[in-house]
Amino acid sequence: MTVRVRFHGRGGQGAKTASRILGNAAFNDGYFTQDFPIYGAERRGAPVTAFTRFSREEITERGFIFSPDISAVMDDSLIADTLANPFSGLRRGGVAVVNTTKAKGSVVPGRDDVKSVCLDLTGQALKTLGKPVLSAGIAAAVARISGINKEALLTAVVDELKDIGLSAEMVQKNVGFAAAIYGELSPLELKTEELDAREELVPLAVVVSEGGIEAVTQAGNSAIRHTGNWRTFRPNIDYEKCTDCMMCYAYCPESAMAVGPDGRVKIDYDNCKGCMICMVECPLKAISQTLEGGA
Amino acid sequence: MKGRLLTGNAAAAAAARLARVDYVPAYPITPQTEIIETIADWVREGTMDSKFVQLESEHSMMTAAGAASLAGARVFTATSSQGLLYALEMLYNVSGWRAPMLLVNVSRGLAAPIVLEPDHNDVLAARDSGFLQLHSETCQEVADLVLLAYRVAEDKRVSLPAIVNLDGFYLSFTREPVVLPDQGKVDQFLPPYEPVSPLSASRPVARGSAVMEGFVYSYFRYNLHAAALRAKNVFNEAAGEYEQLFGREYGPVEGYMLDDAEYVLVMSNSFTALGRQAVKRMRERGVHAGLLKLRMVRPFPTEEVAALLRGRKVVGVFDQNLSPGLGGIFYSEVAGALYHVKNRPKAILPAVGALGGKQITAKEMDSVFEEMVRIDRDGVTPSPMFLMRDDELARVRKAVAIAEGRS
Repeated sequence: MTVRVRFHGRGGQGAKTASRILGNAAFNDGYFTQDFPIYGAERRGAPVTAFTRFSREEITERGFIFSPDISAVMDDSLIADTLANPFSGLRRGGVAVVNTTKAKGSVVPGRDDVKSVCLDLTGQALKTLGKPVLSAGIAAAVARISGINKEALLTAVVDELKDIGLSAEMVQKNVGFAAAIYGELSPLELKTEELDAREELVPLAVVVSEGGIEAVTQAGNSAIRHTGNWRTFRPNIDYEKCTDCMMCYAYCPESAMAVGPDGRVKIDYDNCKGCMICMVECPLKAISQTLEGGA
Repeated sequence: MKGRLLTGNAAAAAAARLARVDYVPAYPITPQTEIIETIADWVREGTMDSKFVQLESEHSMMTAAGAASLAGARVFTATSSQGLLYALEMLYNVSGWRAPMLLVNVSRGLAAPIVLEPDHNDVLAARDSGFLQLHSETCQEVADLVLLAYRVAEDKRVSLPAIVNLDGFYLSFTREPVVLPDQGKVDQFLPPYEPVSPLSASRPVARGSAVMEGFVYSYFRYNLHAAALRAKNVFNEAAGEYEQLFGREYGPVEGYMLDDAEYVLVMSNSFTALGRQAVKRMRERGVHAGLLKLRMVRPFPTEEVAALLRGRKVVGVFDQNLSPGLGGIFYSEVAGALYHVKNRPKAILPAVGALGGKQITAKEMDSVFEEMVRIDRDGVTPSPMFLMRDDELARVRKAVAIAEGRS
């Protein structure tokens, strides 16, 4: 059978690299393999998707994976993100691998026909690597679950991370990270079944009946798209130190600094992406960061 | 003789003035320059009430044209050959913006090697850009099609930019009698342009946004296609009104001696005149020859082509363009229009000629009809014709020998 893995992460967490480590690991283990990421208008924190397929027979599929056997979610804030929608199409009998400290038991809402594997990858990564980069850990989790050989995995970790220019020391730390996660888990049976597709084709005449001309005539609608869940770190203002000098307001690239009714600077957490430029620029060091809960 | 003597370029400029265009972004290139020079003169002397700006390239020119059109201006510009290709990236944008501006293209063969006389590889490079395309045979047609093109482009059911094409030299610099329509009647036919959501400093509008996802992109592209298809009926409506006002009749295609024609040649633009002469000569020899001129190129008049070519013995397609590795461009389009027609012609002969304005003699033109007759008589599969004469080949060989130092 073909194993289809879909990785969901945020820019900077290593979703693309994870798909490549897994692809390389499967290749080392003698599988036919395919991996690829999809690119949008990336930046750190934005949702990213990457795919890996591997099979003992030649792979005849290509492109997006709509019906994954394994959905690997590197940031639990993505679960509620309707655009990322990380469990869409997850097959009956499939596995959700989720980086989280919050959830226990089933993490896939309304689905008792899938298995859940919850891991604190961010905690492990901060401990072993010193930063929340999860590629080696999530790839190791999926490799173990799907029965890929350990040596094949660790060779892939070295190859892929060397390839993107990591120092020998950092590569070794990642090998340690991968080995630790691999050791925590055991293979799961992947007997899966595709969900029924409910779709109908629309004739051209219907599609064009509205005469659609692309034009945005209502200004300011980007506020509707809440990007607050992109944050890994959360800025906090210490109002004892803050003098409302408004430097953070001037530097914030997302206009997520506002002035509250009390005349004080206020962070719009619905849209703040956690870039932490405000913390760097604050002349009074009145802004600190905390890790967002869970991931 | 009615009217006055005007070149094709002058007819284009005069029609732009009659259309009361607001804005003319320009960049010179042979053989188009006379159009913008004429307009520049009129604007300077105050006999044309438009804003005229020379940009630093055709790419900027087209960008300015599209943006001004989105802001609600009636926009006119003109280019040719390499200039059209330099602007090409923006053509796709302007049509995607659904900005109903008008571009006059004066056809000239594309480099390399460099040439100044016409063929249609320049305008057909914009074939898939989403611009409507109307091609002219005479200077009169240039003036009339400019006015018709604005009317169709600005119609809310269409809202697409348009190209009016005329051949360099054969029309651009050729003077012939042109009847310019009366300004009062033009104003009646072509009222001021009323945009739907114009760009405005006080009311922000974003156009040409990144949609990122293929299905959203598909939705807008399908709508662009549907608008282009609708343009044919809108053109027919407008042409009907135009005929009533001005007495000249225009359809998407034009037949010549088609009634009992068995051998029909499809042509476009100014060289169609040579095809008409050949039809007459063949008729004198007892051959039932006829001609079909393509005036509308986008949308492609599939139904008209099928209706007028069904039941003919053999059709020929004279392509004054060349898609290297395929052949003539219109050949494929005509063949596609005929494939599902029940009593389609038994053969379609592809003929490529007049590239870079290569002159076509009566003998060459007749040879295409003679080949159509032979294909019918002998029941042979057509092989593509590429027109060239022995005297021309001898001159090429002589020049090549000099170029290589062999003589």
